[in-house]
Amino acid sequence: MSDTNRQINSAMSPEDRPGRKPPFINVAPSPHISDSRADTRRMMVDVLLGLSPAIIVSLYLFRFYALKQLIVCVVASLAAEYFFVRMRGKSFTLKDCSAMVTGVILGLSMPGSAPWFVGALASVVGIGIGKIIFGGIGMNIFNPAMVGRAFVMIAFAQLMGAGAYENVTGLVDAVSGATPLSALKFNGVHTDIAPLFMGVTNGSIGEVSAGACILGGLYLIYRKTASWQIPASILITVALIAAITDIAGGYQGVFLLHHLFAGALMFGAFFIATDPATSPLTAKGKMIFGVGTGCLIMVIRLFSGYPEGVMFAVLIMNAMTPLINRWTIPQPMGQREA
Amino acid sequence: MADQPTALERFVQGILPENPVYRQLLGLCPTLAVTNGMKPALTMAVSVAFVLVCANVVISLIRNLLKPHLRIVVFTLTIATFVTVADRVLAAYMFQMSKTLGPYIPLIIVNCLIICRCEVCASKQNVITAAADGLGQAIGFGLALASIAAVREILGTGMLMGFRVLPACWPDWVVMVLPPGAFITLGLLLGLVNYIDDKREQARK
Amino acid sequence: MSLKNSNLAQAWLVLLLATLFGTALAGIQAKLGPVIEANKVKETMAKIPVLVLGEDLAAELADDNQTLTIKSRVVEVKKNGITKFYTVYDAWLPEGKVVGHVVKADGQGYADKIELLVGIDAQGERITGLFVLDQKETPGLGAKILEHAWRGQFKEKSTAKHLSVVKGGGVEEDEIDAISGATISSKSVTGIVNSAVADVVSHLDVPAGPENNKIPAVQNKEPGKNSKNKERS
Repeated sequence: MSDTNRQINSAMSPEDRPGRKPPFINVAPSPHISDSRADTRRMMVDVLLGLSPAIIVSLYLFRFYALKQLIVCVVASLAAEYFFVRMRGKSFTLKDCSAMVTGVILGLSMPGSAPWFVGALASVVGIGIGKIIFGGIGMNIFNPAMVGRAFVMIAFAQLMGAGAYENVTGLVDAVSGATPLSALKFNGVHTDIAPLFMGVTNGSIGEVSAGACILGGLYLIYRKTASWQIPASILITVALIAAITDIAGGYQGVFLLHHLFAGALMFGAFFIATDPATSPLTAKGKMIFGVGTGCLIMVIRLFSGYPEGVMFAVLIMNAMTPLINRWTIPQPMGQREA
Repeated sequence: MADQPTALERFVQGILPENPVYRQLLGLCPTLAVTNGMKPALTMAVSVAFVLVCANVVISLIRNLLKPHLRIVVFTLTIATFVTVADRVLAAYMFQMSKTLGPYIPLIIVNCLIICRCEVCASKQNVITAAADGLGQAIGFGLALASIAAVREILGTGMLMGFRVLPACWPDWVVMVLPPGAFITLGLLLGLVNYIDDKREQARK
Repeated sequence: MSLKNSNLAQAWLVLLLATLFGTALAGIQAKLGPVIEANKVKETMAKIPVLVLGEDLAAELADDNQTLTIKSRVVEVKKNGITKFYTVYDAWLPEGKVVGHVVKADGQGYADKIELLVGIDAQGERITGLFVLDQKETPGLGAKILEHAWRGQFKEKSTAKHLSVVKGGGVEEDEIDAISGATISSKSVTGIVNSAVADVVSHLDVPAGPENNKIPAVQNKEPGKNSKNKERS
């Protein structure tokens, strides 16, 4: 949703409440601009289009496993949305495609090897605890897909973290000495001409190809569905920290490139962090959000027990978003700071 | 004290209508910390019951001697004594359990539930009412702990009290026995209790 | 200030209660204190036969209604200006032969302190077993250090070698296979074992029979003792 849309939506929300008469007058904060093209559905379709390169690459690389994850997550997300929205006695919201987007993003962030119930549970938790509990679309504090993923990540650490991500780290030697899950036989597919760019890892199905993510991301930015500030500031921050580590460690650029193209960074920067409902509203706020996310990603990657930090970084910064919004609230013209 | 509830009312109220966890949101520290299994949760519930009833009885006995500005000191002193007794007894006779519960038994001292009952009931009413109140609240607390522990242990390990209740192919939701699971379970159960309450309220109208 | 309003007069109830409760607690502590102490000792002692003898032999010994004679002492190791204390349990067979030693060691794990018991054979050459006394590692991952299959890797490892954690390893003499997804926990435990073994192995010589060990000072006069370090009971 765009900023405008979000405000309108929240202003109109009393209308949806059961047992209350819809108000006659809508009171909404300025700007009172309504762009008929800027509705939720259009944005979500855009996001799906933006995700399509990543989906295609994942289907090509992982075939059945990618298809399975995507179908499981999308079906479970739609079902959860349907069920929970019904439970709250609200109007049916499947048409805005937001649950579909959540499902696709979740599916793409699953390791191909994960059993079906992992994706299904992640979708139900993401939609239920991540979104509906907070009041549905636009009201959620945390990115629903990442809430679901964090839940299964901790719940099924064995299936989600260790096996699938051990080798996705920025640790260069770990990749060269990787022992991929032989049962899935991903290895042959992965050792590609541009392995870093195409994805050398046994990671989440949608994130292995940095190229596809960049392509889709640029489309989103071109369509103004995603703001450019967030991905740009995340990538610059990560690149800066990685470059410093690179120089300090004498890796001659390998470390830097690896951190930029490996793992969920591109996917997260373009598709996850840019979720309008859970990121700041102002341009300045988006910059702060991006820098914070980038720093957290690198801190988690370099210093924590987890090899990849995009998910937790985005979730932590989601929690900071209301605060960032308050800091960066624009001053009305002609008014000095009190 | 004509308008004070009777012993029976106090007892009944503590169990569900004024459930310490689900209604008063008191004593949430042990509720979150020790409910990753049924056994520690029940041990905690029994320890709290012991401290609650004993403290209530003692405070009620000396209620006429209390000076208003010193009452909290007396409450804390009494509670701390019984908590220490509970802690020592556990360490002596249930050593493994006492290790599992770690600092949470001594932490009963700062459990708001107990000081709240001393303040609300025991320092104002007679011994029998105070004892009934303590018992009722303790049962309510125990029920709350047991319900959370049941959800967490079953989902987290597929077992209850060490017995397998779900088929062996159940994928353990490890997150449920970790701290995040405590918050999620408590939140969802609170929501469920409120939801049921709402429904009953509507039905009554 | 009149007597009635003085602080002391106001607080008489508090003081009285404090005295009463204090006395009662003292009584309870006097009664239960020894039991609790015994619990703590028993917890460790119960593991020692299995650690030094292995499960089969320990069961055999228990069947024969025989028990090991176990004595504990504290070993003080000075390293890099820091003095570390280890509790070492020496175990003798009923007939008086030293069968092994158990070292209690602890260190930082992934989540919290990990407390271990490391069994070492009588000559101080090989590790005879590992037991985790206390840990708060992640269930399902790090908590696998408790599992017999993983702990068992330490058995028969030489005390002279520094053990290293290897993914998919454990083939070589000085390698320990990492728990998948819990490299930090694996490394912590291995690190604790390494430093404990290295620190204590030169302090293991004990008299041939437990009877000689009654006076702690005797130990220092035993031959073959590392002279720069002291042992205390």
